[in-house]
Amino acid sequence: MANNLLALTCKQLLKNVAAKHSVQTASMSANVAGSFTRKLIGKREIVGQGFSGEPTYIDRADFPFPAIRWKEPNADILALREKEKGDWSKLSLEEKKAIYRASFRQTFSEFQAPTGEWKYILGVGFIILSAGIWCFFFLKAFVYAPLPDTFKKENREAQLARMLDLRVNPIEGISSKWDYEKKEWKK
Amino acid sequence: MFRNTVVRAQNLLKNNLQPTISRNIATSQKLASSHSTETDEQFDQRYENFFNQKDIDGWDIRRGVTDLWGHDLVPEPKILIAALKACRRVNDFALSVRILEAVKDKCGGRPDIYPWIIQELRPTLTELGISTPEELGYNQPELHTESVFNL
Repeated sequence: MANNLLALTCKQLLKNVAAKHSVQTASMSANVAGSFTRKLIGKREIVGQGFSGEPTYIDRADFPFPAIRWKEPNADILALREKEKGDWSKLSLEEKKAIYRASFRQTFSEFQAPTGEWKYILGVGFIILSAGIWCFFFLKAFVYAPLPDTFKKENREAQLARMLDLRVNPIEGISSKWDYEKKEWKK
Repeated sequence: MFRNTVVRAQNLLKNNLQPTISRNIATSQKLASSHSTETDEQFDQRYENFFNQKDIDGWDIRRGVTDLWGHDLVPEPKILIAALKACRRVNDFALSVRILEAVKDKCGGRPDIYPWIIQELRPTLTELGISTPEELGYNQPELHTESVFNL
């Protein structure tokens, strides 16, 4: 019992340390020029955990804050960052938008805007369905043998007559509906 | 199962009969259910306190909001006020606008909540000089950007 608990605690501790360590090393190694992460993200600032702990940028509604900023800092953005440290009400609308776009690629309304892709999907779906139906007609015309005689009307009528003669299902089924005296269906 | 019960009963007895004896952490069972006993007020307070930390950084604001967003609720205005003030302390304007956008998204199919939240936040927004996404024109798509899957 105690051993179990001790093992669990140690595991938990190690896990915490490892998790912290991996995040730290990711952000630390990202600060080393020439690291692989740096190669991928350039000079972009790592600002958060993102949705997976990887330094990637994706606009998502369930994880609103990507791990890195969208734009690499340039002179304009750095100047804006300096200005951002002051009173925000002194920023113009354009500056505010520029600051936003430096951090984020798309606004919520942009990445949630309907793409119209459903039309494409529906269209392709119908094309495939109609191709299937044409395949059936092709097979019917050139591949399948004609239907057997039993599908002809007179054959099916003869079959029905024989079933009545044999009194098939006389209680609730087909023969119970046939009037054998008057030779017609019961009203 | 039965063993659990016995250990718990034993603990109860021990605690009641000899209240002075402290529980041995290594051998006693953890007496907690999986359900949270936190009240809504405590929950709000916890997050408000989190965002009110003086030395909070951008990473923690993002972590806190993402964490909060994992719950099935629209956060109280007082939590958002604390979060926006935290954004001001770390000088991240974009983050504050993003939080407001995310709040609107979090309201889901209830369009009546967001205007109320903005109304509650209005003094803070004016004080900090934060523009709502509507004032920035972000309630409608502004730019067309190619899908990242096509880049």
